[in-house]
Amino acid sequence: MATPAIEFAGVTKVYQRRLGGVQVAALSGISFAVARGEVCAFLGPNGAGKTTSMNILMGFIYASSGTSRVFGYEPGDVRAKQRIGFLPENFAFYRYLNAEKLLRFHLRLSGRAVADPEALIAGLLAKVKLDGYKGLKIGKYSRGMVQRLGIAQALLGDPELLVLDEPTSGLDPAGRKEVRDLILALKAEGKTIFLSSHILSEVEQICDRVIIIDRGYMVRAGTMQEMLAEGTRVEIVVDQLTEDLEHAVKERGASVEREGNRVRISLDAAQKRAVVEMLWAGGSDVLSLTPVKTSLEETFLKVVAEGGAR
Amino acid sequence: MKIRTIAFATFGSFLRNKVMILFGSLFACIVLLMMTPLLGYKAMTNASNAQQMQGFILNEVAMVVSLVSGFGSLLAAWAAADSLAGEMKSGTILAVMARPLRRWEFLAGKYLGVLMLMTVYVVAMLGVTLLLAWLGGQGFHTSLWTLLVYPLVRYAIWAAISMLLVTMLHPILVMGIVVVLATLVQLFGSASSPIPAWLRLPVHNVLPLTGLLSEERFLVITRASLRPFPWTSHLTALTYGVDYALVCFLLAVLVFQRRSLTRD
Repeated sequence: MATPAIEFAGVTKVYQRRLGGVQVAALSGISFAVARGEVCAFLGPNGAGKTTSMNILMGFIYASSGTSRVFGYEPGDVRAKQRIGFLPENFAFYRYLNAEKLLRFHLRLSGRAVADPEALIAGLLAKVKLDGYKGLKIGKYSRGMVQRLGIAQALLGDPELLVLDEPTSGLDPAGRKEVRDLILALKAEGKTIFLSSHILSEVEQICDRVIIIDRGYMVRAGTMQEMLAEGTRVEIVVDQLTEDLEHAVKERGASVEREGNRVRISLDAAQKRAVVEMLWAGGSDVLSLTPVKTSLEETFLKVVAEGGAR
Repeated sequence: MKIRTIAFATFGSFLRNKVMILFGSLFACIVLLMMTPLLGYKAMTNASNAQQMQGFILNEVAMVVSLVSGFGSLLAAWAAADSLAGEMKSGTILAVMARPLRRWEFLAGKYLGVLMLMTVYVVAMLGVTLLLAWLGGQGFHTSLWTLLVYPLVRYAIWAAISMLLVTMLHPILVMGIVVVLATLVQLFGSASSPIPAWLRLPVHNVLPLTGLLSEERFLVITRASLRPFPWTSHLTALTYGVDYALVCFLLAVLVFQRRSLTRD
């Protein structure tokens, strides 16, 4: 079995304020693995510990306990970093350089031998739609342009693993779509992608797997199908509903909404057969039965709320 | 290759740094300001006061050289502190360190970038010294390598000390400590210091002996010639300086290896 691209086992990070002040646990025993070729979303509300985890993964900070591996190597090991493209949250740059010079600088640092570096850089700038601005100093770029440049530098070393911390942050809807398409193209090339984002509708479209953390704890992990199937509901529309029947379906966890001469019943998919039979037997005419899938956003909010309640 | 890339980028960033431009402008202003009395003395020189005026001029030159030399130590310390702290504060270090680059390579690149800047400074300093001496009617009848190498090694020490401190402390605090250290070096380094020997000697052994690396050991500007020193003396003094800088740099690498690269 191939070594996973990313492995976290019981990773804990505690920040200690200086001079013996309070301790803040940013991560508490996080464990997960990301297989090669997988597109995995790392989700959580602000302050959940996503960026801390990514910083540990990149070797920028050290975990207080637990182990983490990237392609089987310690985070920060150059053998691992040779295979990673990283986009930090709020990508910072040398403002006095232009895009071409910045990418040339990063290419030299990547140690990648390229026959025609100029062509590679021009191709990457075209890919992120910055080819028209390659001579402009980065200090004059808009937030969205900087983000695109950050994505270009992440792709520079032809990495096997892309770690993207909020890749669509600061982009307009068209820019977001372009980044989404780019990620899908990279996915088709077989790249492993580990990304964090707050735009869950996008995550739903591009990711195979989801890991949700909250307040430093991992609260849910699963495939996208599992996430969306969780709590899958159906909606039944009937012509009429007696009070006895309404009482009976509500006992099965359904919600009832009356709209003119129709009644909408929303309930868990597991209950649909029993409820439909009950409705038929009770004299209601079932006009339609529609499966209603939970969105990732709903699942996320539910999971985080459950975590908060705990 | 990677170290060289970081070094050139660091040097390039210094040339665009606003504080550095301010430093450079201040340096030029001070030199120009000091030249005014120098040229005044020269203009007032006549047959009857030639010797007295020559003395004034050479004292003036010695003062400028001493000032510029001391200024260089502060510049080296500030450049080293800022080159690392600036990257961490702005967050540019994250994209750089995401590359297959070891932490010591990054630090070595930063340090070399600072030394490149200080090489430019030392060459400029020598240029100013020669210009002022020429204006004062004196010429250096000696090899000038000591005037290039000695200050550079001295600045390498201050840069390494500053780099070590900035891996642990805020750059402003680092500059404060460097100034205190420089004062202590003067205080403890002098044989005529009022500090008792039992305290002076141990502290003196820990502090950098920058006096040993001062070009003033060799050059008496008021005579504008080099005192003869055997090559073994040069070798010992320079090896001491390089060793001191290396120890500080290695300690900086050790501390930097374990520290967080983020602003948390």
